[in-house]
Amino acid sequence: MSNIHIIGPQAAGKTTYLAALAYQPETSRSPVRQANIKVKTLNEETRELVDKAENIIVEGASLEPTQKYVKTIDDLKVYSFLIEIKRKWQNLERLQLTVRDYPGEVFKELESGSRDPIHEEFMNECLSADTQGCLILLTEWEQGIDKFYKRAFRRFIALMDEQQRLQNLRLAIAMSKCERGELWPGRLDPESDLFAIHFPDTLRFLRDNIPPTNLEFYAISAFGVLGNKDPRPNRKEELGKKDRYSVLRDPEKWSPYCLVSPLYWLSTGKRIQGYV
Amino acid sequence: MGVVYIGDRATGKTHLALELTNPRHEHVKVTSPDYDQLKLLLLDENSMSKPTDTLKPYQRYLEMNVQLPSGNKRVELDWIDTGGEVWRGNWQRDNSDKWKDYIEPIRQSEGILLILPPHRGMTFQPGVDTQEFPTEQQWCNRFETWVTFFCDQCPQIRHLAICLNKADLFCDLSQEGKKLAYRPYNSPCNWQQRHEHVLKKYFRPVYSQIRRLGEGMSSPSVKCFITSIYHRGLLELPWIYLGSFLGK
Repeated sequence: MSNIHIIGPQAAGKTTYLAALAYQPETSRSPVRQANIKVKTLNEETRELVDKAENIIVEGASLEPTQKYVKTIDDLKVYSFLIEIKRKWQNLERLQLTVRDYPGEVFKELESGSRDPIHEEFMNECLSADTQGCLILLTEWEQGIDKFYKRAFRRFIALMDEQQRLQNLRLAIAMSKCERGELWPGRLDPESDLFAIHFPDTLRFLRDNIPPTNLEFYAISAFGVLGNKDPRPNRKEELGKKDRYSVLRDPEKWSPYCLVSPLYWLSTGKRIQGYV
Repeated sequence: MGVVYIGDRATGKTHLALELTNPRHEHVKVTSPDYDQLKLLLLDENSMSKPTDTLKPYQRYLEMNVQLPSGNKRVELDWIDTGGEVWRGNWQRDNSDKWKDYIEPIRQSEGILLILPPHRGMTFQPGVDTQEFPTEQQWCNRFETWVTFFCDQCPQIRHLAICLNKADLFCDLSQEGKKLAYRPYNSPCNWQQRHEHVLKKYFRPVYSQIRRLGEGMSSPSVKCFITSIYHRGLLELPWIYLGSFLGK
């Protein structure tokens, strides 16, 4: 069983990502379905996530921020998945994952350097010896954000070093909400077409400090686009939220993009074929 | 933690909460407290709401089942009703200690139902005495103070449902009820579409303030509703919305 932790700024879509992964919308375009991958939920908290996807996301509303109900480390939910991959002429591959989703404030504090004892506890757990890897979701790309991300990663890497995880923790850095028009064309080679363009300093810093075998870049989208030949984002912004919160535009066309790939790599160290 | 009803005097907060417990339900069934007992407690002999006490927030345990797409969810809440008087500036100034008793449950609450009255700029049904209601300008000014209140005093609240009440006085209930209807499977519209419809049709004068409210609050969840005790479907909508988040 692999322990994976998800961190990222507030409203980066961490919980929505997990809800989409747990729910697996039944559309024929679903890359997961096409790749013969099945995602099964293994505990009550993950099944609650499926209910949230069905009752909230499909019904045209946004999930609430994790920070709203996480006051202590015990409030932090543990999601447990079984991912089954069936390939031609090969045995069924099974991956069991335990995923923790941290409030965005943890990432913010990495940048500011302040230390809330609860968030410190989160980070200690996140970098503990039994963690295989971290999925770090980034979402904004406006001017100046590169410096913000670099400062956060500098602190994160210092903490990795303190915990002696610098050489043995996989980091999957993902640009989330990639259904957005400006990002969608860059999804096929995110390292070159998203990270090198929007966060050159952060990218350089990560490459200089993390062994290449432990660092991968992804573009993911919990909502996806409207169709294979219709690249309009399947999202609609919430009023007054300036891109931070949006709702699913057409549930019938819900087809998430690249949800399993980063988790597969974090868990096994191998890349899965395609963008599932 | 609970769900708090707030709003000015005589906007129908208590009646709205009471009617939710009516056993003739659609998708929200209140299992406790009992409708008839509550009626005796909250209404006078003429079936009019007794004014809510301003000494302290009126708190009651409420248990309900909400039918959602994924199945029935149980929602257990502290239903907190506040007297309309407390929203007057001079009351707050004269009773600063008591005001603290009100503001804390609001800050701690999981959801807030802000109940608003109609205003005179609306097209009312024949026979309605429009003088009972604020002018459009007064209504907008009051809304502005609500926005300031939420952004300054409680930006961390989780869910805010803004309910324009007494919809029976200014719209065709059955038509709007049909348009906004909730069905656990195949609803004609989703929460965002309902919100946009109500926002454009009934909240146009305060559109920019609602945008500002969205910007000022950390949560994504500000939704507009129309409610009436004479239409069960519309009455239940804010609760189904809250139940989607709070249900277990």
